[in-house]
Amino acid sequence: MWLLIRLHDLIWSHQRSDFYQTERRRRKKMPVRVVESNTPAQVSGTDPGNRSPLPPSSLLGAGQAFSGTQNVSNQQKEEAWRVNVQIQGIDLEHGYLCGTMEALNVPMADTPVITFWEGEIVDGKNYTFYTGKWEATREDDMRHWSKFPSFSPLQGQVESDGGRQLDLNNYPYIFMRWKEQYFVNVGTDCGLTIAGFYYVCFSCSDGSISGFYYDPNSSPFQKLELKTVNEGRSGFSFSSYELQ
Amino acid sequence: MPTTTSSSASSSSSVSCNNRQADVFSRLASSDPEVKLKALREVKNQIIGNRTKKLSFLKLGAIPAIASVLADADDSDKCNNILVQSAAAIGSFACGFEAGVQAVLDAGVFPHLLRLLTNPDEKVVDAGARSLRMIFQSNQAPKYDFLQEKNMEFLFSLLNSENENVSGLGASIIAHACGTSVEQRVLCEAGVLEKLVILLDGSLSQREACLESLATVLKNNPEAVSDFVGLESGRYFNSVTELTKDRYPRTRLLSCLCLVVIYNTSPSYFINMGTKSSLITTLLELLNDPGQSGDDAALGLSCLIAEKEDLQQLAYEADAIKNIVDILRTGSELQPRRLQGLFLSLAELCSKLEDCRCSFLSLQVLDLLTNALRHKDADVRAAACICFRNAARSVKSLSAGRFNSDHVMLPLVQLLHDPSSSVQVAVLGALSNIVLDFSSPKSSFIEYGGIKQLIELSKSMDPNARCSALRALRNLMFLADNKRKELFCSDVKAQGFACLISDPEPPVQEQALALLRNLVDGCISSIEFVFDEDGLILDTVGRQLRKAPQAQMAIQGMYVLTNVASGTELHKEAVMQQLFPQAKAGSENFMLKFLQSDESQLRSATVWTIINLISPSSPGAFDRHVKLRNAGIIPQLKNMVNDACLDVKIRIRTVLGQSMSFGDNY
Repeated sequence: MWLLIRLHDLIWSHQRSDFYQTERRRRKKMPVRVVESNTPAQVSGTDPGNRSPLPPSSLLGAGQAFSGTQNVSNQQKEEAWRVNVQIQGIDLEHGYLCGTMEALNVPMADTPVITFWEGEIVDGKNYTFYTGKWEATREDDMRHWSKFPSFSPLQGQVESDGGRQLDLNNYPYIFMRWKEQYFVNVGTDCGLTIAGFYYVCFSCSDGSISGFYYDPNSSPFQKLELKTVNEGRSGFSFSSYELQ
Repeated sequence: MPTTTSSSASSSSSVSCNNRQADVFSRLASSDPEVKLKALREVKNQIIGNRTKKLSFLKLGAIPAIASVLADADDSDKCNNILVQSAAAIGSFACGFEAGVQAVLDAGVFPHLLRLLTNPDEKVVDAGARSLRMIFQSNQAPKYDFLQEKNMEFLFSLLNSENENVSGLGASIIAHACGTSVEQRVLCEAGVLEKLVILLDGSLSQREACLESLATVLKNNPEAVSDFVGLESGRYFNSVTELTKDRYPRTRLLSCLCLVVIYNTSPSYFINMGTKSSLITTLLELLNDPGQSGDDAALGLSCLIAEKEDLQQLAYEADAIKNIVDILRTGSELQPRRLQGLFLSLAELCSKLEDCRCSFLSLQVLDLLTNALRHKDADVRAAACICFRNAARSVKSLSAGRFNSDHVMLPLVQLLHDPSSSVQVAVLGALSNIVLDFSSPKSSFIEYGGIKQLIELSKSMDPNARCSALRALRNLMFLADNKRKELFCSDVKAQGFACLISDPEPPVQEQALALLRNLVDGCISSIEFVFDEDGLILDTVGRQLRKAPQAQMAIQGMYVLTNVASGTELHKEAVMQQLFPQAKAGSENFMLKFLQSDESQLRSATVWTIINLISPSSPGAFDRHVKLRNAGIIPQLKNMVNDACLDVKIRIRTVLGQSMSFGDNY
């Protein structure tokens, strides 16, 4: 989500430098074929004609609300923010969705902090599993996607050909990246940043969402866990709009 | 003695002018041909390029006077000059002046002009042809019956003429009078394409007439396009493409418009991306032409990119948005037709691509749009509304509250009472989107009395207006709080709403149900609305669903039931009453029909209703499950475990999972 106060920054940057130093040492020992790839996440006319957008999923629609937590723990302390997410728009044809994210009990803020985010749906038509931007390398991508149990059956194919042959249309999980775009109710001088993005996995069957926040300058793998919200109802309710 | 010099001077010059004009009329009626000729030249020279003079002479009755001169002059040599000058004057009246065209036709001069085409004197033929071409530039030109054999013969005699004005006239007649696919077919079968393409190698005037007429014959006619492209193995198609680089702007424009027609009819002939880009670039350049070419280029561009995401992308990459906005910002008075074309082009650019919408809105364009909403021309106002509508498809911008300001909302709301129905329809479309303001529960639309106006429009005689008004209300009630819902419900009571759901038009029913779906979403207490007046609304929904409705209406209806069934026990039982009404025992349950629908969304909505009815946390779930099983609904779901639609399949498995918890195995 967003980076906390500067002290936390300092702590993390020290840890991160350790982490990367360790990584560098490890890599020096084991010759690894480094594949530099500029393949963007967005499929650029190579294969769009043969792929269709993902079919609609009832619980991932405009108006759907989700509630849960984001774990922002670090070695110093356990902490979780309560988070509410609402989907405001979804355009499966373009692999796009957007909505708001509200974080409660944020220490730095007097009020809940709301951001507007936009999402990319990994559908093989508009977007692939490879991000290709936001300082996320392929390795970062695989490291994060592989943290979702539902990604395991796909992992082999994604590693071998980027998942081009995968039939995601019949898979009961939807993978996305969510990127916060701006603060809705606080200023940019609030001490928080929205530099990173989330790797997200949505379960079509029960509407649960899990995600991992990625920002090279933040604690790694901050986990987002959300469930659908039914506003005190005994069942599911659906609102809708139609853009002219 | 001091006198007021200027006013008396102007009034005396005005009197003098009128006297001269009156004098011209008496000279037009003179029996002396020289006097008549001089009077004709005088009129012609005064009105050429001068709209004010044309109007002035028209009001004085000049056209009937000249028409008489033309009618009375015979075809002898000594009358040739009179024929030429009177034809020229008539042509000038008709040139770009609709009132003049009307007056010319009313004066019955048309057959006399046609007569001139067979005059042995080439100058007379020329004058007649030019004059007729002016008339055929207008939409008021007489209908030409291409299906009459003698008319077709006459037309071909014109096309075959070596006189460029006469052959150009033939092409102009086709350009402006060919309107139906039957006429296109008859013309093509008679070989008109082969005749027209010869003009492509002719003079400037012939080329331009040819391009215009080709566009008319080929429009929406794939066979004609195929015939044209096949002529001499594509030679003429290539010629038209080459003409987009011609030095004359009008030629470039007309060749572009011809290509736009071909592209819209048979896009397969444009596999080359370079041709598409070039066409867009040429049209964009022509937007800067100050004359009619610029006006037509704007409309041409909007036609080209309409509904075509790939072309919109190309236009976006060619900086079309900024170019057009810069033209709109020049400050000079633009013709309504050009303004309309520019706004429609922007609207098309914003129609599908979020990048375009964001780019457009980032240029601080709302002022431009709101000014256009107040333009005196209805087409411009409508085009601005369409532009608003498409820009407001950006959920990101709606979420940022970009449109929720008094400055934007007030002129839009005012247009709900616009005298033009096309503007009303267009503004309803814009408001439909703009009211989706996620940024704030406070809505300036509501503050301006928007809800009441939409409620009024939902009772309009025009079903499109009813549908659009309800759609706007639906969007306004999306995730609305109780306060906002109450503003609607307090005005439209149960009886009124039941009428909306029972509207004779299915699209209106669909929007009414979608609105109801939103009203009963959210806080659980909002479900109570369907129980007002003894459950009138819920009964009406049930009744409509039992009538074998169209799929889209049924989807919304089932979501109403789904939402109600997510409430309390009472709510769930009320839904069961609608599914299994006592009076209709024995008839096939409509849910079974919906579950077998080809429409996956309908199957999904129906399954959601079932999920909510047998939600395990509710006390009466078991009994409802028994009833659904006995009605064959649960068994039907068992047959659908491998539904082709993933979402439906998942929901069915949820139901069957719930079923198992009631001891039902599958």
